[in-house]
Amino acid sequence: MSESPCQFCTPLDVRDRDYLQKDGFPGEYPHTRGSYAVPVYATPFGEVLEGGVVAPRAGQYAGYGTVEETRDLWRAEKRRGANIAFDLPTQCGYDSDNPLAEGEVGRAGIAVDTLDDLETLYEAFEGLTTLDGMVSNFTINAPCNIILAMYFALAEKKGVPMAKLHGTPQNDILKEFAARGTYIFPPEPSMRMIRDTITYCSKYAPEINVISICGYHMREAGASEVQSAGFTFSHAIAYVQLGLNAGLDIDQFIRRFTFLDFGGGMDFWREIARARANRRIWARIMKERFGAKNPRSWIMSGGDTIFVGPSAYTLQRPLNNLVRGVIGGVMGYLGAGFTFGGFPWDEVYGLGHSYEARQLSLDAGRILRYEAKLKQVVDPLGGSYFVEALTDEVEEEIWDVIRKLEDVGGAVEAVKSGHIQQEIARSAYKFHREIETGERVIVGVNKFTGEEELEVVPPRLVPHPYDPKKLESAAERQLARLARIKKERDQGRVDGALKAVHKAAKKEDENLVPYFMDAVKAYATVGEICDVLRDVFGEYEVPSIL
Amino acid sequence: MPEEKTIRVLIAKPGLDGHDRGAKVVALGLRDAGFEVIYTGIRQTPDMVVRAALQEDVHVVGLSCLSGAHRILFPRVVELLRRGGREDVLVIGGGVIPEEDVPFLKKSGVQAVFSSGTLINHIADYIRENLPAGRQA
Repeated sequence: MSESPCQFCTPLDVRDRDYLQKDGFPGEYPHTRGSYAVPVYATPFGEVLEGGVVAPRAGQYAGYGTVEETRDLWRAEKRRGANIAFDLPTQCGYDSDNPLAEGEVGRAGIAVDTLDDLETLYEAFEGLTTLDGMVSNFTINAPCNIILAMYFALAEKKGVPMAKLHGTPQNDILKEFAARGTYIFPPEPSMRMIRDTITYCSKYAPEINVISICGYHMREAGASEVQSAGFTFSHAIAYVQLGLNAGLDIDQFIRRFTFLDFGGGMDFWREIARARANRRIWARIMKERFGAKNPRSWIMSGGDTIFVGPSAYTLQRPLNNLVRGVIGGVMGYLGAGFTFGGFPWDEVYGLGHSYEARQLSLDAGRILRYEAKLKQVVDPLGGSYFVEALTDEVEEEIWDVIRKLEDVGGAVEAVKSGHIQQEIARSAYKFHREIETGERVIVGVNKFTGEEELEVVPPRLVPHPYDPKKLESAAERQLARLARIKKERDQGRVDGALKAVHKAAKKEDENLVPYFMDAVKAYATVGEICDVLRDVFGEYEVPSIL
Repeated sequence: MPEEKTIRVLIAKPGLDGHDRGAKVVALGLRDAGFEVIYTGIRQTPDMVVRAALQEDVHVVGLSCLSGAHRILFPRVVELLRRGGREDVLVIGGGVIPEEDVPFLKKSGVQAVFSSGTLINHIADYIRENLPAGRQA
């Protein structure tokens, strides 16, 4: 369908369709036409656009410098939810004083070395909300259960029952191997720890979403829309299998599986078709493959956010990114998903959007919703000869990706051998070649770049509340915190707890979460615990793919 | 004009940043443009990068970083190369590098910074034109 420069479709393209089997109604199996009959739209900044009771939200993803600085900023903003960006050393299981952490401490997020850091951060909410009245999101993967253990320990100290905690750790390690890169241990023990999250939380912390399965990072790393969907579903199948292997009931534990999203690019119609196909594929996987009976289990919870991802944004004439973001918002409404007005146009400069850019993105979402009234109808393209035919076509392509991964032994084997990484790198390169040859047009990058064009760079004048100069010395302050804790803690207790982790790690069927809790309560560091695990599990060996 | 085949390039990812799309695309692109390219993979210390550069006897080191750690890591690589007696290696960089950091990086010995949206042909031309004298095999 993609070869012809211009085309039209007719009833012949959708003949012999069984409407209820293929499409169904919004909110009903197989969810092609929408996860919910009445969608709720929110923005990445936590603004809920529709009236009624506002559920607690985690708020915008953030983390600046040290925990004290982020605490103070959040307090000033009167935040009632935590959406924590961790710095790369924390995500990779290195303490701030590890030589490998040099240059990265407190950048792209905060350092959490010990429970003390989390305790300090959560002072931000004192008097505003309590742990059982808020949501915490942790963008953490390889050391996920250590951070969760800290959160449980924090709740214990504050007298909040674990069963009342709400939140979502990312915990999607397969996409770290595939694209994002913050892996530590080899795939098998990494998967074991996700099994631990599933079984521990299903018993003691049933309101925690145990995983947020992501297509976004693979898409941003270069995967096509079809690959990112197929890989994500293959990962999801592997995670579901963990719960089943542990003897849990699918309709029970799947309640706490969420998806992040699948990323998105500028290929308007294919993205819309992909979003519609995704819902149908997941519904079929859950109902037909895994035999889930509860209709709620067939919904791709959270995976329905549709937008144009920042890798489609350009540094050249950057205000054009606002247009790209808005196109993503329109795609969202036409694809019957959740959406917003796009990422701020200055995302290309790195995280830490200007207030002006945030304002424009928020307004873009509002204009789509209130002025253009795009929300008036759910799945407006349902029944379109073209879109239904394209949805079927894209669906088949995604199933092909899933089948291919099963042929090479499933998702875990595919990240071990480097198969997924190679596929993504190939697609990234193909995409770039198309730009280089001019086959793919990017306005202001490889076309319309003549002298007569004007380089429009809007000023960003409203100062950000976090002074970037503070970043320069954040590492120093974090190192002082860590040194103090190491001096003050009971070293005997730390050693004992780490020894227990070591012993438990050797037994595959042992759940490590309680051992992590003992260790973090003794103020053992993330790096110390990870070192013990490295000793038992080894480290991921990166397959050479170039 | 050096024989293109003999120009050896090390593409490296210093630091813990895992965003390697750009590094891989540039590595593949320069390879297609006729260079011999070695890619280090992610999570390299400056020391590891320089050891690889010396071992492979490269003409060019291309550094990529998107985490914000470039101000520390890029100059460190240059410094270690110099200490290893290799001022004649052309060091270039890319990633999410704020424009205001470019003069600092250039002063530290990173000779060119290529931002997002750069065509690889442009990088290839730059390398061919800027190889240090005496390194033109």
